[in-house]
Amino acid sequence: MDMVLIVELIAASAIGAILYTIIGIAPGTDETAVLAPVTLVLVLSGFEPIVILAFFISAIVAKKLTDSIPVAIAGIPGGVMSAPMVEHAMVLKKHGIPELSIRKMASGSVIGTMIAVPMSLLLANLIAPLSDYITEYASQIFLGGAIFLALMTKNRWIALLSILPFAFIIQGLRIFYWEVGIVPEDKTVFTSFFLGITIGPVILKLAELLNPKSRRKMPRYGKKEIAMRKTRKTKGFPNPFKILDKKEIGTTSLSSFLGVLTFFMSPVGMTIFLGETLTSRIKDPVKKATRAISSMDGLTNAAYISGTLIPLIAIGLPLSPTAIGPGGPLFNAPPVFTEEHNMHHMLTMPDFILATVIGSVVAISITFYITIKYAQQICAFVFRFIPHEAMLGLFFGLVIMLAFMDAGIVNIAGVLLVALVAGFLHRKGVNYGVQFMTLYAAPWLVSLFM
Amino acid sequence: MTKMDDRHQQGENIEVWEDLVNIKDLLLSIVICTISTLGGYLIAPNEPPKPLIFGLVGAVVGFIITSVVIKPKRRFRYMDEEED
Repeated sequence: MDMVLIVELIAASAIGAILYTIIGIAPGTDETAVLAPVTLVLVLSGFEPIVILAFFISAIVAKKLTDSIPVAIAGIPGGVMSAPMVEHAMVLKKHGIPELSIRKMASGSVIGTMIAVPMSLLLANLIAPLSDYITEYASQIFLGGAIFLALMTKNRWIALLSILPFAFIIQGLRIFYWEVGIVPEDKTVFTSFFLGITIGPVILKLAELLNPKSRRKMPRYGKKEIAMRKTRKTKGFPNPFKILDKKEIGTTSLSSFLGVLTFFMSPVGMTIFLGETLTSRIKDPVKKATRAISSMDGLTNAAYISGTLIPLIAIGLPLSPTAIGPGGPLFNAPPVFTEEHNMHHMLTMPDFILATVIGSVVAISITFYITIKYAQQICAFVFRFIPHEAMLGLFFGLVIMLAFMDAGIVNIAGVLLVALVAGFLHRKGVNYGVQFMTLYAAPWLVSLFM
Repeated sequence: MTKMDDRHQQGENIEVWEDLVNIKDLLLSIVICTISTLGGYLIAPNEPPKPLIFGLVGAVVGFIITSVVIKPKRRFRYMDEEED
């Protein structure tokens, strides 16, 4: 094996891990919004596919390790994926043990990664022969996922009712773009709609600010009081298997395993569903919370890694929410990657294994160490110096740019429309999972009526 | 530990996405970040991937400017050991 290549892979992984350790902590950073653009730039800049894969895997692992830190310390989700954990982390915070949350979550992440990497490689090999069949029925699978997730939510009927109209809005905009000639017929606007859904709740809130009546009705606050207890320094290199007890390791392994098997489902939806199901019988609130957060964190990690690797290795089409969102540029980034010629076609199995193993090992060794040791200092810095306004502004700016990039100025209005509807549905209890699945199923679903 | 204190007090801030913001500051931040990001994208030479890179750099620049100009709406302190 080429030594130069190995060094390159380690360097790319280290950069990915450090960069996304910082980004992960920032509250409200959506995985797609922070991973997809950077990955896209790397792909288009002509880096070797194997180096990009190592970077990407390392970035995912690091981001997933750190985005639970603000949840534990302040109850602010570091990303969309960590939102389901807020409730449980708040229980631990109320009991005055937020640093325990961090340790449990980070250890859950490590276990999730350790289970997901070999299992994804294995599952990808099993699925590869079925790839033609799966590709053929992808849309049906996505619709099934949307219906399933809709039935799992509390407001199941409105969630179920929202699927078809929402699909019409999305596909209606696309057809309009094609008809008017804003985008060529073979291009499907996707990334910006995806981001529109993600930022929906915020856009709706901003839109309400324009209405003086509802603006006056909004509750006003002073400053947010954040007090942190100084924690003792842990010595030596932390061991995830000592931080979690046997039952937690068991539940985390099980949920990670299921997370890999359901790689094609929305990770947020599965996290909510499995995390709650697996812990619903535990009575002691603290035990319930630690079990829930460690297994949820394991699951999100596993779902992200498997969601990227399995479609990439086995199918070559982005057939999972992770692959189509954050991992999108690995499948489709013209002119470098196209659906007929991307990493799936360019890398061999040993390449995939090498990049994945190096990426995840480097990320765990750097980020897990930093997370456990310096979580508090990093959080203190972010809370003191990074205003929430800057975070929202950054996100808004990126969404506008990507909207413009996808289909010009008209698409900015299109994305705002999608965001407003998505934000409204979100408020009525239709979660991201249902909306994302609908986004993927939309072209086929609408074609049934035409 | 995190308290929405001053709920009754005369506050200026509203809650968006799990944290507090000032409406005027938020508008300012959105304007700055949008101009810097989209501006970066538009002034870049029209050969991919340059517009995207310029846009991302613009986003980071906008983020840094707003972080300097706007103060976070949080009051942060370390707790003493005895305190709960």
